[in-house]
Amino acid sequence: MKEISKTDYPDWFLKKRTGKNLIVSPAIPWLMVGFPVLILIAIVIYPTIWMGYHAFQNTSMMSLFNNNFEYVGWSNFYNVMTSDRMHESIYRLIQYLLFGACLEVILGTILALILYEMIKNELLRIVLLILMVMPMMLPPSIVGVLWKFLLQAYNGAINHLLINLGFLDAMERIEWLGAEFALYSITIADVWQWTALPLLIVYSGRVSLPPAIYEAARVDGAPTWMVLKRITLPMLKEIIAIAFIIRFMDAYKFVDKIYVMTSGGPGQSTELPVFIAFQKGIREVEVGEAAAYAWIIFVFAALLITLFLKYLKNVLKAQAFA
Amino acid sequence: MVHLELNKICKGFDHPVIDRLSLKVDKGEFFVIVGPSGIGKTTLLRCIAGLEKLDEGEIFIEGDNVTNVPPYNRNVAMTFESYALYPHMTVFENIANPLKALKKEDSLIRSRVYEIAELLHIDGLLERKPHEISGGQKQRTALGRTLAAHPRVFLLDEPISHLDAKIRAELRTQFHTLEALREVSTVYVTHDYAEALSLGDRIGVMGNGGLVQIGTAHEIYEKPNSLFVAQHLGQPSINSLEIDLIEEAEKPSAIAGSLKLPVDLNHWEHLKRKNITKCTLGIRPQFVKVVNGDQSSEDNSLELNGMVEVYEALGAYGVMITSVVGQKLTVLTDPEDKYDHDENIKIRIDPSTFNYFDLNNGVNLIP
Amino acid sequence: MTESNIKLIKIILLAFLLVWIVFTLFPLYFQLITSLKPVAEINAMVPTFWPETFRPGNYLGIFADPGSLKSLMDSLIVSISNTILSLLLGTLAGYALARYLKGIVGENLAFWILSNRMFPPVAVIIPMFFLFDATPWGTDSYVSLILLYLVFNLPLATWLMMVFFRDAPRELEEASYLDGYTPLKTFFKITLPLVFPGMISVAMLCWIFAWNEYLFANLLTGTTVKTFPVHIPSFTQGSQTLWNLVMAFSMVAMIPPVGMFIILRRYMVRGLSLGVVKG
Repeated sequence: MKEISKTDYPDWFLKKRTGKNLIVSPAIPWLMVGFPVLILIAIVIYPTIWMGYHAFQNTSMMSLFNNNFEYVGWSNFYNVMTSDRMHESIYRLIQYLLFGACLEVILGTILALILYEMIKNELLRIVLLILMVMPMMLPPSIVGVLWKFLLQAYNGAINHLLINLGFLDAMERIEWLGAEFALYSITIADVWQWTALPLLIVYSGRVSLPPAIYEAARVDGAPTWMVLKRITLPMLKEIIAIAFIIRFMDAYKFVDKIYVMTSGGPGQSTELPVFIAFQKGIREVEVGEAAAYAWIIFVFAALLITLFLKYLKNVLKAQAFA
Repeated sequence: MVHLELNKICKGFDHPVIDRLSLKVDKGEFFVIVGPSGIGKTTLLRCIAGLEKLDEGEIFIEGDNVTNVPPYNRNVAMTFESYALYPHMTVFENIANPLKALKKEDSLIRSRVYEIAELLHIDGLLERKPHEISGGQKQRTALGRTLAAHPRVFLLDEPISHLDAKIRAELRTQFHTLEALREVSTVYVTHDYAEALSLGDRIGVMGNGGLVQIGTAHEIYEKPNSLFVAQHLGQPSINSLEIDLIEEAEKPSAIAGSLKLPVDLNHWEHLKRKNITKCTLGIRPQFVKVVNGDQSSEDNSLELNGMVEVYEALGAYGVMITSVVGQKLTVLTDPEDKYDHDENIKIRIDPSTFNYFDLNNGVNLIP
Repeated sequence: MTESNIKLIKIILLAFLLVWIVFTLFPLYFQLITSLKPVAEINAMVPTFWPETFRPGNYLGIFADPGSLKSLMDSLIVSISNTILSLLLGTLAGYALARYLKGIVGENLAFWILSNRMFPPVAVIIPMFFLFDATPWGTDSYVSLILLYLVFNLPLATWLMMVFFRDAPRELEEASYLDGYTPLKTFFKITLPLVFPGMISVAMLCWIFAWNEYLFANLLTGTTVKTFPVHIPSFTQGSQTLWNLVMAFSMVAMIPPVGMFIILRRYMVRGLSLGVVKG
């Protein structure tokens, strides 16, 4: 029995339109999505346009109230792109993303797997999970404050702990929040707080993996590390990717701890791009330049998101759309 | 009285699946649709149910045009291959669901659910949840749910294919005896041809976007209208040989390699009229018999020598592949006889049971 | 891999876990003891790792300022309202995206919604400041925060709900249609119960993010509405920060999220598997 070849598709098929169904009128899904989307548009697109407009003006806070600002063309953007301040902050951002977000995901995954595989006692596992997740429950600003407190050079507990443990001499102090270490200190506080999120996500994913595969592996006599490498990790690949994307997205616009711990200092050694935009806009009230900053950051974010989305699309297509 | 009518319906996704299919099913009729996997049987059911919108064509139920009626107003019931039982509801609530949708009173619902549960022998399970019962019980619960609200059309999508043989036989019997089915038209989909032959009042063989043959089990079996149908109905599968037709001294023969078989004169009339010189010959294994020494031969039959290649004893019958002058034929044998590999046997075939199919499009050449 | 090698690795891994737990607990421990110390002890040159004097009264002390309790209430109002709103809108949008808008438009829409989470808050603040300023309720109001927090919570809620809905088998909804229920009734009777654990985990996540938010609250509000992160800097005496009170207050503020997590952890774990693998 021959199959109908592509070239002989009947007329009705060539004329047909997709997407019709009898269940709901096509308008309804659009309404369902439309309402939230409209709100998002109001909250997001309006500022975007506003910032877009002012990026081309020489607005400052004063002039906003008086409504006098002038068109200055691309000079805001030019200033931003050529400022060393910006370049250095980008460099720091990369550092932060690597040693912060990436590290958090890796650590979180490792810890989640250790927790699941090696702690067999249900109760102990839950207790440990709760303990490890607690840092996430604090406001990032409080975490910043807490670590600032601990990292005080002279009264801080960390330094004294190091002295007690013998890593430092009695008179030595590490200037955790000094120019040298400040960025790392903030990163440490961040890792302390946010490793919990990928940990929770990966742990949840691991819990929900079908036991049947593991039983089969056990019957086959596969050693634990092989099971880990060949079965667990591949199946968790998507979850880890999602955890990474969630963490990355938050880290990208990360400002809270900088604001609280160092205010970008000392000097400008802990400034990240979004923070600079923030400073310019709120502190130095150079709204125009801040807008330019925001826009450049935004464009970068859009590029990154597109990359993520391509990857995520394939991931999601494989498991959810199927 | 026509209860369900499909009029030239068309449905396609990224390629056409159902192409101008028409069908009429009477009230009380049990219509079985049979066909290979992936051919579109489930899509057809979904179209009748209203879960898919037709690209073209119309559907009528009891004379009403329901083509644009959404599934929740169509009064059609369907069982899903995966049962689709609501996991957060008990068996009782699952079966009661359609009645609740119609806003019947609780007492009515209760009596009806008990009635159905008793009928399907699941009355002890009413308080359990779907994940607590076995496959067969899930199947019967799904069945109960479809029966509950007296639908007009009853659609069954491979309802017993995942169950073991014993339960399948039990449920088949229930399908035969269920009173409720007398009031509705039933469309039953399966890929198991034996099941189709045993259950259906009429059978439709689905292929190539439509129903290539519709008829009773007997009709389709005896007179398949194409090689496709012949090959798919009947276990074991029909023997098919490519043959040349020649006429020597008024005696027509079919030649396949070194095998020469006589052609029944009635068949030859039609073949000669259409000037067929090459075609496909179909011989059902049921009509190839092993000769035991003392059996008398019938008039038209031909005896041939063959050598056993493969023999399978399958309980109620045996299947043997024998090679006869280079051609392999499948033969159905009595369960008591046993055959060894390379054993020499004699087989008898009756040319009046032959089927001839067009070489290219497989159409049966004998009307 | 020899037996002893495996054992060694196991020990190392467990040790690693232990080290991390200690690392995690140390600041929390210190937070706890600091909250129990008197002021003098806090500012001593050498910090003590165990309080010399216990002042559990600190916990009452923080409430001497009526603003403390109010700030907790304000946080509660804002976070719960925003969570409900995010969940509501996210469920609607998530369902539509999961079931119906599957074409190119739908996919891109879903990703655009998700991408909003990456939107820099500073870009939102300045314009929104002026916008809200022009409204009758002003910037320093519950409404402004509840709406603004949607910027990061709505994309999360939508996206997670979309994933959960995709996992709910469509056949169950179809069976319900055939039983006679309209899509609306089906949604409430069949679909929602299926995604309920997921909804809980989404609610929890959104709530935690809203509860802990500092930046918007700090810049837009402060008098009429004061959420607890904004209230914390007020624990000062002159120019000195009263760390013990700060820590005590933080501990109190930590109770709701931790408490919720302990109670709802099963839902969290089940929901957060993000439906990547079917159980």
